[in-house]
Amino acid sequence: MSIHDYLTTFAGLPVVNLSDDPRPDDPAAVAWRIDLEFEAEESAFVEALDSVLDRAGPAGPTALIVGEWGSAYDSGFPTDVLVSRAERLSGLRALFIGEMSGEQCEISWIQHGDITPILAAFPALEHLWVRGSEGLELTPLRHEGLRELVLQSGGLPAEVIRAVSTCDLPNLTHLELWLGVDNYGGDARADDLTPILSGRAFPALTHLGLRNAEIAEEVAAAVAAAPLVARLTSLDLSLGVLGDTGAETLLAGQPLTHLKSLDLSHHFMSTEMAQRVVDELPGVAVDVSDQQREEEWGRYTAVSE
Amino acid sequence: MGPLHRGLGVVRVAVVGNPSNRRVARFQAAAERVGAAERAGAGERAAGLSVEVWPWHDVLSTGRVPGAGRLVRIDSPGEDAAVDRLLRGPGAPAAEHGEILGLAAAFGGLRDGLARIEAGGGTLLNQPADILAMTDKARCHAMLEAAGIPVPPALTTPVSDYGSLLAGMREAGWGRVFVKPAYGSSASGVIALAVHGRRVLAITSVELSGEKIFNSLRVRRYENASEVAAIVDRLAPDGLHVERWYPKASLGNRVLDLRVVVIAGEPRHTVVRTSRSPMTNLHLGNARGDVAAVRAAAGETAWARAMRTCAEVARLFPRTLHVGVDLMFRAGWRGHAVAEVNAFGDLLPGVVADGRDTYESQAAAIVNGWAGAACAT
Repeated sequence: MSIHDYLTTFAGLPVVNLSDDPRPDDPAAVAWRIDLEFEAEESAFVEALDSVLDRAGPAGPTALIVGEWGSAYDSGFPTDVLVSRAERLSGLRALFIGEMSGEQCEISWIQHGDITPILAAFPALEHLWVRGSEGLELTPLRHEGLRELVLQSGGLPAEVIRAVSTCDLPNLTHLELWLGVDNYGGDARADDLTPILSGRAFPALTHLGLRNAEIAEEVAAAVAAAPLVARLTSLDLSLGVLGDTGAETLLAGQPLTHLKSLDLSHHFMSTEMAQRVVDELPGVAVDVSDQQREEEWGRYTAVSE
Repeated sequence: MGPLHRGLGVVRVAVVGNPSNRRVARFQAAAERVGAAERAGAGERAAGLSVEVWPWHDVLSTGRVPGAGRLVRIDSPGEDAAVDRLLRGPGAPAAEHGEILGLAAAFGGLRDGLARIEAGGGTLLNQPADILAMTDKARCHAMLEAAGIPVPPALTTPVSDYGSLLAGMREAGWGRVFVKPAYGSSASGVIALAVHGRRVLAITSVELSGEKIFNSLRVRRYENASEVAAIVDRLAPDGLHVERWYPKASLGNRVLDLRVVVIAGEPRHTVVRTSRSPMTNLHLGNARGDVAAVRAAAGETAWARAMRTCAEVARLFPRTLHVGVDLMFRAGWRGHAVAEVNAFGDLLPGVVADGRDTYESQAAAIVNGWAGAACAT
């Protein structure tokens, strides 16, 4: 399956599409979305970005979403175009690279490159979301601004997870990794998550999402014993293939009643087990919606391809 | 062309169809309801409707067709194994259940059958030339394009196999396309294909089984180039029509398109088809969406433009009572394009406009003497 919807708010700001020729009263109080025509020329992205800069005021956009940048299935996000305009983007706090629907480009086809220069060029960036992980590279670095990192993928390579966990992100409170499936490059095992789950990697973390995981049962077992969990306020294991076994280990593990929310939506638990999770975690907002049924071909994560 | 009848007595409509098919039964029932209602409303001055069925099997085997003095509604010859075999011609091998076989031959059979019906001298409610134009995807695409109706661009280089398909895509600079059998119906044999370097992804309902290909109810994904090549190479001899990928709009995390049935020039019966795969055709287990929600998401201006496009498509076939237009909104609701036009696209059970379903609307148009848009004399 694929993702087909677009965000209507990003980093708390309402999204406006550049193609709609918006003239917001306060151009810094909206999230600007650039989404080019499929197979648009490379120069079109430069033009679109400059058009946002013209409209967004002296500090540039506060939040920027880039959907299709031309031929995302063929060439990675043009990092250099953004980085070379860093001075004119001094107000940038939130960036989403690759918000494309499956119709525009299947998630596992979205090409990326090295995103390290973006983090280096925007030390004040607080929210970074990336969709797709084909060719995605990251060199570990220290970044004091980053609060939220979301990597959406149909198959997130273990190498990327290792690079993320080696970054020094003292203020990161929200981390979301879509692990995906092995067939699309998601070769991580629960062991690869140890630096994160031990609590050592990100001292400020309060929200962890390990989503869309083919290894959801294994992840549940690791989470059940993870030191990090005690200081989380929310845990998100949704979109994956969690079943009764994983739910059982989760319940048998450390207490989870301190959580504000636990998202298990899109799961393969039996109705009885789903109810048990809800019953055993009073006071926690547990989401067990979108129950899936196993097909003869097995269990599928929500987003792969 | 004069009025079809004088509005008195009983109007006799001959339906050429497969008698056991629900399309025929539904039209028959609709005609009875409409005839009775008209008489109840207008008394003796209104015409009643009587429907008689002329099996496609007879048309193709014995040549028995309705004669002069009758109104003739031509319905789909599909969903009947014996008729399918007759369409594919004498000596054609039997197809296994769901097997995709002899699409070009079946089109030839349809052409011959339609010619027989036309020669019978009845007054046709849908024109053979129109049915053929709509069913030939490349020709239909060319017609729409020439008329200035928005369609995705199509490859103009001949595609005879997987190699020439890739070459054509390369030359056009397209990485993602829809590959459609030139004479297929609905999603049968359609492939959503993406190619990048050595990587290939085909999403299709086609199932490859040994030397044969089948239409499956499950949408499959193929990433093995040799499998994709095998499927394309089996479809190509019957003709392929290749269009550039058109990213469709979505709502509620499902991709959607519309089937709009235009009856007597009026686009009023609409169904939203939604899917989590690029195949939106209803019979692939997809859900019907909410027309009002789509209309709201598109906005009134874009919706009105889309409906105007559907009416313009129907104007290309002025002497055909109904036309089924598959209309795609572009992702982000930026424009729209016509994906296909269906000659037998009026089976939309339960879709009602002004109190009438598609069959009742057609029956009412017939009772009221519809004589072809802008062609009545």
